[in-house]
Amino acid sequence: MGLPTILFLAVISLSFLALNCYANGTFSALQNSLLVTSSPKAGQVLKAGEKNITVTWSFNKTFPAGTDSAYKTVKVKLCYAPISQENRPWRKTKDELNKDRTCQHKIVSRPYSPSTNTFTWTIERDIPSATYFVRAYVFDTKDKEVAYGQATDAAKKTNLFEVEAITGRHASLDIASVCFSVFAVVSLAGFFYLEKRKGKTSK
Amino acid sequence: MENSQTESNRENNGGFSSPVDSEHKATKLRIQSVAAPHMRAFHLSWISFFACFVSTFAAPPLIPLIRDNLDLTSTDIGNAGVAAVSGAVFARIVMGTLCDLFGPRVASAALMLLTTPAVYCSALANSPASFLLVRFFTGFSLSTFVSTQYWMSSMFSAPVVGTANGVAAGWGNLGGGATQLIMPYVFTLIHHIGATKFTAWRIAFFVPAVFQTLSAYSVFFLGQDLPDGDFAKLQKSGDKHKDKFSQVFYQAITNYRGWILALTYGYCFGVELTVDNIIAQYFYDRFHVNLHTAGIIAASFGLANLFSRPLGGYVSDVMATRYGMRGRLWTLFLVQILGGCLCVLLGRLGSLSTSVTVMLVFSVFVQASCGLTYGVVPFVSRRSLGVISGLIGGGGNVGAVLTQVVFFRGSRFKTETGITLMGVTIICCTLPMMFIYFPQWGGLFWGPSSKGITEENYYMSEWSKEEQEQGFHKASLKFANNSKGERGKRVASAPTPLEGTPESYGHV
Repeated sequence: MGLPTILFLAVISLSFLALNCYANGTFSALQNSLLVTSSPKAGQVLKAGEKNITVTWSFNKTFPAGTDSAYKTVKVKLCYAPISQENRPWRKTKDELNKDRTCQHKIVSRPYSPSTNTFTWTIERDIPSATYFVRAYVFDTKDKEVAYGQATDAAKKTNLFEVEAITGRHASLDIASVCFSVFAVVSLAGFFYLEKRKGKTSK
Repeated sequence: MENSQTESNRENNGGFSSPVDSEHKATKLRIQSVAAPHMRAFHLSWISFFACFVSTFAAPPLIPLIRDNLDLTSTDIGNAGVAAVSGAVFARIVMGTLCDLFGPRVASAALMLLTTPAVYCSALANSPASFLLVRFFTGFSLSTFVSTQYWMSSMFSAPVVGTANGVAAGWGNLGGGATQLIMPYVFTLIHHIGATKFTAWRIAFFVPAVFQTLSAYSVFFLGQDLPDGDFAKLQKSGDKHKDKFSQVFYQAITNYRGWILALTYGYCFGVELTVDNIIAQYFYDRFHVNLHTAGIIAASFGLANLFSRPLGGYVSDVMATRYGMRGRLWTLFLVQILGGCLCVLLGRLGSLSTSVTVMLVFSVFVQASCGLTYGVVPFVSRRSLGVISGLIGGGGNVGAVLTQVVFFRGSRFKTETGITLMGVTIICCTLPMMFIYFPQWGGLFWGPSSKGITEENYYMSEWSKEEQEQGFHKASLKFANNSKGERGKRVASAPTPLEGTPESYGHV
């Protein structure tokens, strides 16, 4: 095989690979061109339904101008830190974006603008107890991810904060459970008494 | 017109609306009827067992919510799943004993009412430990399987007992599939009304709990233990002897056939429970279907019980009319081994459509094996029917626990390898059936005993000489007579019975 043939095959395979990456959308292919910060201090514990998180994001000017020409929308999400993914395969991080389960909770969706954007979000009551960080994905006009930014480092170790979820329990529910349970057991005792009486009464 | 027909039916049937034998057990299963006592008992049994299955498997479809609310790990979820089926191992044996001593009506109503607190208290769970505990205690309710089988075996005669057992248990098992559809729907409804997610799932548990409570009340007030009356009434009038626990238990555990059937049942029913727990995540992970689709596939496995377990019981009865007990044993042996082969195949298939097809055929074979097993069980013992049913039923759950712990926990085996190995284990654990032998009817490879041991000899050997002198064994005698159909259509003449009581006290 001559050199031109090899080169031709290489170009074809690389293009296929590139197309593949593009078609399946991987995280590693995204540009880290957004600067994102979140208000909670590292290690802070916030109560769901009560406390707020303020997120700010802006275009990282160290990237060449024009990088953000395709940017259309920004979706800011609450993402699980590695410690909360341990032994929980339903929160696994995968490079393929449509299989990735790291960021399951949406904070806000906004049209893209390179200047500083801010949003204050009250932590919703269905957010589970876990350790989190904030990440923003940027989408193009075809609604595909093209860039991202996160409030933590690449290893997802800094600036992590905790959310303390609601229990979902209410005093009224607790009382109802106990009452129904007691009623069931007491009615059983009543039945036994009835049975004994039936046995004693002569037919 | 209708009334006079029903009236003359009743006269012909000795006051019962179904035709009956000498023990007043129904010889036909008329599903469209709710007449007391036989058909009413049938419907009460399967509905209450269905309610218990719904309660026990109410958590799995809501796991995606519960695991977030209680911060569960994969290990926590797996452990709770094992706990849900392991409680019933012991509870089934206890239930069997209670049935023998107090009757299925009181035993099952009592157990259901004692386990509903666990279902109500699922709403209070707030940690992995409390979640495991509620699943463990709720699982005790699966022991109503034993009372269902005992009740059917007491109400229905030999020619239809397999069918009655199979339909009652099969329709009860449906609860495991139905709950995968019911609970998410109830949750969505409650969430829509306004409760937050983490409260809505808790409220949702009240539905299976109340259903179970109401079933228990129905069983208590509408049911009757035996065709002639309840245990308490019959014991008082002297028609039924109030048996001693120690003797009932001893006769059960010394009958080797019970232990072999416990092993084989562990590898049909135990496999069914295991598959219920792992199949959704298998299809989700291996074939990348979405969670909804995986759930529907999982539900369809359980819903096949609508016809497959009853089919097993029915086929058992049909084989018995022609080939007797040997026919029942051979059919069970072959169907279960075929089920094992299909399981081996399932683990080796790489395409979604063939996997689903093989899984559905496999579900029919495995559930039919369960029905076929309980076509044999009523004949193993008359005196200790309850404890034997309980031992074998408990064996089913032991199989589920062992299989999940060895093949489907942690990452030692890939799920598909686990499934194939499970199939191999099914085949190996069915082989001991070769050793089951009824001297009056035969076994897989041997015909009935040439010593001429009869049904009377076999069932009388459960009572000592003193007990027989006091006439405690009369019910067993009637049963022995009614079970002569298990000889099949034999050309040779019936063997002459041995004289009097066998010399050795203990099993023939």
